[in-house]
Amino acid sequence: MKKIIAILTVALLALSFAGCGKKESKVPVIGISQYGEHASLDNCREGFLEGLKEAGLEENKDFTIDYQNASFDNSTATQIAQNFSSKNVALMCAIATPSATACFAAAEDKDIPVVFNAITDPKEANLTEGNITGVSDKLPVDPQLELIRKIQPDAKTIGIIYTTSEPNSVSAIAEYKEKADKYGFEIVEIGVADQASVTQAADTLINKKVDCITNLTDNNVVGVLSAILEKTNAAKIPVYGSEIEQVKKGCVASAGIDYIELGKMAGKQAAQILKGEKKASDMPYETVTEYSTYVNSDAVAAMGLTVPSDISDKAIECK
Amino acid sequence: MLDLIISTLTQGFIYAMLSFGIYITYKILDFPDLTVDGSFPLGAAVTAVLLVKGVNPYLTLLAAVAVGAVAGFVTGFIHVRLRVRDLLAGIITMTALFSINLQIAGSNLSVARSVETIFTAAPTMAVLGSLTLIQRKLIVSLIIMIVCKILLDLYFKTKNGFLLKAVGDNNALVTTLAKDMGRMKIIGLSLSNALVALSGSVVCHEQRSFSSMMGTGQMVFGLAAVIIGTTLFKRMSFVKGTTAVIAGSVVYKACIQIAISLGLPANLLKLITAVLFLAILVLGNIEKGSVKKSVRA
Repeated sequence: MKKIIAILTVALLALSFAGCGKKESKVPVIGISQYGEHASLDNCREGFLEGLKEAGLEENKDFTIDYQNASFDNSTATQIAQNFSSKNVALMCAIATPSATACFAAAEDKDIPVVFNAITDPKEANLTEGNITGVSDKLPVDPQLELIRKIQPDAKTIGIIYTTSEPNSVSAIAEYKEKADKYGFEIVEIGVADQASVTQAADTLINKKVDCITNLTDNNVVGVLSAILEKTNAAKIPVYGSEIEQVKKGCVASAGIDYIELGKMAGKQAAQILKGEKKASDMPYETVTEYSTYVNSDAVAAMGLTVPSDISDKAIECK
Repeated sequence: MLDLIISTLTQGFIYAMLSFGIYITYKILDFPDLTVDGSFPLGAAVTAVLLVKGVNPYLTLLAAVAVGAVAGFVTGFIHVRLRVRDLLAGIITMTALFSINLQIAGSNLSVARSVETIFTAAPTMAVLGSLTLIQRKLIVSLIIMIVCKILLDLYFKTKNGFLLKAVGDNNALVTTLAKDMGRMKIIGLSLSNALVALSGSVVCHEQRSFSSMMGTGQMVFGLAAVIIGTTLFKRMSFVKGTTAVIAGSVVYKACIQIAISLGLPANLLKLITAVLFLAILVLGNIEKGSVKKSVRA
């Protein structure tokens, strides 16, 4: 027994060292650090790879990928970033804020370029000065409010659940409150501390008889979206998503960002850096200017709503 | 490769301070203290705010120690004076700290690169300026950690320190000596959380950021580090508890780094880490067929 375990441990250690030795090859390595498994974040990564491809770079020939996932753990994200730094990767691609912060800190010494993805406010996260660039997933608030107004012309109140500790959500709430007036809405927001309180918050919103609910890109809320939809469907309150994956899950509609497209933008930035055309420090971060409208007509019908034809004509159907 | 070892040791040393804290509560006081998940980010939150305000980076460490001690005191007070069960007292403080941390920092807070940290400030540069940033991080963390260890070891030799040990081992003795056991528990919890917050503070310096979620799972980490450390050195009674804890912390961080370096599918990371822990713990337990014996027993 002892021998077996000892051998196994040594074998694991040897393997890990062997893994470190492989870096001799000349192909540049891109380290992708993703904060956790999550449909939107996965799309960012897929888009990133597509973006590199579209820019004419081929995997295993022009670059290789070292993909790591921190399972939503900040200290693991730190160690992943340090692993990349010690391997002298050519570029780090960081998906979501904690991973980006960790990569940026680990890259400081060697000035390794960092391309971030899915960060709402890179400036506030202090990720704009230095050898860093990337893409922001700031929500298109105006188009979303306009969309809700068109589908529900009589609606007065919009409920939003958000996590008080997520800076992305806090800034989105502020923007919603500022702009709601213009479209004749009132925002009823409920802040929660953790995922466990989200469904309770949904009950409260239903109790307050809001006319509809709209989502942010709040990880805690999106994580239990199915449970929320179960309650809101029973109460016949339409829920609007903030991106395509949520509409697929059963939200009625969304004017949202396509995270694959967002990822592609980051992939193209990375390609420019790898080719030596530009430096990350000279590239300002980009924001998506184009958004798409997504509609789930089953969910729309279930709510007894109709989507005006000017929207449904150009909307993308999600089921 | 050398960089990786340096970074991993740095992580191990920084988190060893947190593990000292857990060592005091779990191993000495026999108190499962969940305050840790709140006091760790508390140290980081205070540090981030002070750094952004331009306060001397070295002073932020002391500030973190102070607020951490207060957090521990609160848990102790709730448990001892308000007679709430130990586990629940920690949960109450941890829950409150989640909001308090956000109140302190406003939101998740990051510190710009232009702001000096303990790793880049002038006094550090004057002594260690010739080293790279990664090496400076190692040396500075090591120094802070060693100072904590020496102070702790000295404290355990004082009369007060002996009393603290007695609370967990033989609390009848404390009462016989006409000492207030509750007071000792409060002292222990304050000391423990001061160390935890200090660890959070150094992480904030190192990462240049405070995140409200950074405390999640730190108690579990600390427990694992303490258990791994004490298991590894079980038969070497001359090794001090604090030394064993440092080893445990480094081994834990090394296990994660090995799992990352293996390059297996990313989602298997935690599983591989768990397997490595198990292997180490089992190896530590085996001596001349002792596993068989203990299985039978």
